[in-house]
Amino acid sequence: MNMNALGFIFADSVDGALNELTEKRTLGAVPFGARYRVIDFLISNMVNAGIRNIGIATTGKYDSLMHHVRSGAPWDLDRKRSRLTFLPPYASFNGGGTYENRLEALQYHLQYLKNFSEEYVLISGCNYVANIDFEKVLEFHKESGARITALYRNSKIHRQQELTVMEYKIGEDGRILDHRNAEILDEVRPLSINAYLMKLDDLIEITERSMREGKHSFRRDLLFPMIESGEKVMGYEVPGAVLYMDDLATYLKNSLDLLNKDVRASLFHVDGFPILTNVKDSAPARYGDKAKVVNSLIADGTIIEGEVRNSIIFRGVRIGKDSVVENSVIMQESTIGDGVRLNYAVLDKNVIVQDCRMLSGYITHPFYMGVNEVI
Amino acid sequence: MINRKKIVAMLLAGGQGSRLAPLTNSTAKPVVPFGGRYRIIDFPLSNCVNSGIDTVGVLTQYQPLELNDYLGIGTPWDMDLRFGGLHVLPPYQAATGSDWFKGTANAIYQNIKFIKQYDPEYVLILSGDHIYKMDYAIMLDEHIKNQADCTLAVIDVPLEEASRFGIMNTDDKGRVLEFEEKPKHPKSTQASMGVYIFSTAALIHYLEEDEADPTSQNDFGKNIIPNMLRDGKRMYTHLFKGYWRDVGTLTSYWASNMDSLGDMPELWLNDPDWKIYYRHSFNHPQYVGEHADITHSVCGEGNEIDGKIDHSVVFNNIVLEEGAEIKDSVIISGCKIKKGAKVEYAILDSGVVIDEGAVVGGPKESGQLAVIGRNVHIGAGAVVKPGESVTEDREGV
Repeated sequence: MNMNALGFIFADSVDGALNELTEKRTLGAVPFGARYRVIDFLISNMVNAGIRNIGIATTGKYDSLMHHVRSGAPWDLDRKRSRLTFLPPYASFNGGGTYENRLEALQYHLQYLKNFSEEYVLISGCNYVANIDFEKVLEFHKESGARITALYRNSKIHRQQELTVMEYKIGEDGRILDHRNAEILDEVRPLSINAYLMKLDDLIEITERSMREGKHSFRRDLLFPMIESGEKVMGYEVPGAVLYMDDLATYLKNSLDLLNKDVRASLFHVDGFPILTNVKDSAPARYGDKAKVVNSLIADGTIIEGEVRNSIIFRGVRIGKDSVVENSVIMQESTIGDGVRLNYAVLDKNVIVQDCRMLSGYITHPFYMGVNEVI
Repeated sequence: MINRKKIVAMLLAGGQGSRLAPLTNSTAKPVVPFGGRYRIIDFPLSNCVNSGIDTVGVLTQYQPLELNDYLGIGTPWDMDLRFGGLHVLPPYQAATGSDWFKGTANAIYQNIKFIKQYDPEYVLILSGDHIYKMDYAIMLDEHIKNQADCTLAVIDVPLEEASRFGIMNTDDKGRVLEFEEKPKHPKSTQASMGVYIFSTAALIHYLEEDEADPTSQNDFGKNIIPNMLRDGKRMYTHLFKGYWRDVGTLTSYWASNMDSLGDMPELWLNDPDWKIYYRHSFNHPQYVGEHADITHSVCGEGNEIDGKIDHSVVFNNIVLEEGAEIKDSVIISGCKIKKGAKVEYAILDSGVVIDEGAVVGGPKESGQLAVIGRNVHIGAGAVVKPGESVTEDREGV
């Protein structure tokens, strides 16, 4: 279990998804699944495959992410021989400031990439939650002799936003023949998850060349020309659940999908592939005399005295007496008073809902409350 | 001061805890699970860090494998330090012979070198079998103010229970006049909690004296403290008024677990200012299913619960199938309770499997606690009566 690859994570959303949830934090730091942040899944997948060095590129609003990931200790990445490195933007004599594209990020952090002797590099965005065996991806990559292996999910897009989800055309041998922006709603298609495996040397060389040629976009300037010129770019279908974050409505839908046994099994119950996260030393969940909880995911440190149905309850949440929370996501440290009704709500971190408030959205249009808000 | 410590704690964790059998059949008592996610030893260790004590020697002897694994280098309690931190101190061989720890005092005596490394002014002696949240810094302040040689933490117990404890008789300033171990006719209700602060020089003096006495039982309660009293040393009590329970027996262990339940629990574990730290096992959040009904309980992580739980402490990775019921019980990690099985007034150690329709225990009113040992399999339809202690698999019917 020692995958000879470097991990490189883009913690920002390049596509501007999840507007509300990423107002104060980067995409990787979005809370998900009652006790995790989105990036936990990706870091855990990498570490489970034996990846020992991971770089996290992020351009802004990264305090929440840094606070969560810290030194990488939860994943044993604060070691002499395995390390997690934050790669924030920095100013230098020949320019500085920040960047907007993935290829620019790689150009920016070229020196970081050159530090390593790993043969391969796995680069990935943070738009999805999955439990992926990256060793299998590497095996597939080696066997196929691909120059790049691009990971995809067979899925529908639920809502066409201004963001661009990329759809591949996959040949019978698994080769990617063509690409386009996904357009068709509610039909299962091979959709990119923005994760790629390739040789590290190759990436460094391509990145250097792209700098000379003044190119910026990973997909437009690097991936697409390769596909078009007939280079061997293979598609690897990620099996099992892949929860892709498009917008707030899919965030809620993905969250509630965790109540499905198969989804939970695919994410959490894979032997030898645990999803790790930062620990809080919370007490166990405490249920009051009149608590009623049905079909829900309940984190530790919660105190539940009311009723919870089809919901995701994060660490340290309190739900008061005679309150009913349905089809909702309540993030960490939020307090719901007595006699409250919530339906299809996404409540961000540390909000307070005072007694007897009634708040409701709909599955396609969740009611949202921002960090630290009080109603 | 970066090259010495003001106070070092020595935690006695070597006892067998035979009255907690079968929970302690294959593991040491301090590492017995407690409160849905903790181990007993998390309480004194967390008290130490929360009190500002960062150097602890843990004396191990009985069945130390799981305990050593659990403690590691003290990371969960922030005790993996360059200077100080948590150190496991097992019995050892020396040039002049080797010995098991003969008694509590002898265990500390054998580790005087460890204490001296830190050159502390004070030594705190703790044991690994009590559940409590206590600020040792307050006790130390009193010790210093009294210019005491030894301060003993005491708790006020009901008079009728006083004869189960070591009882301190003091003057009105808290100076100890007399110490009686389990007196038939107690003169006071101040029971020793087994928490002592010694000034280091006095401690070492009396440990050495005690070691030289071949008739001594090398015990703090029986030898060291009476000897210091005999010599008129300055010994004071520190009255502790918070929650404290000796969990030395199965019923007291059960009762203390139950104290963490309810809307206003006696044992308040959600206190952000006095966290109990523990080693994490990384499970997903608990899933509560369509048919679940959980009331008046605490419940850990990684669980898949579709049955009924009332007035119980449920640990991690528990599967409770539809129609199964748990009442008035402690269910330790990794248990599986299948459809229609009933568990009432019972303790299930880790990894127990209760098959369909089996019945374990009975109403609490019977006063008889049923206990199922580690990894025991109770077959479908089998019955475990109240008061039974089961350590071997039981066939179904």
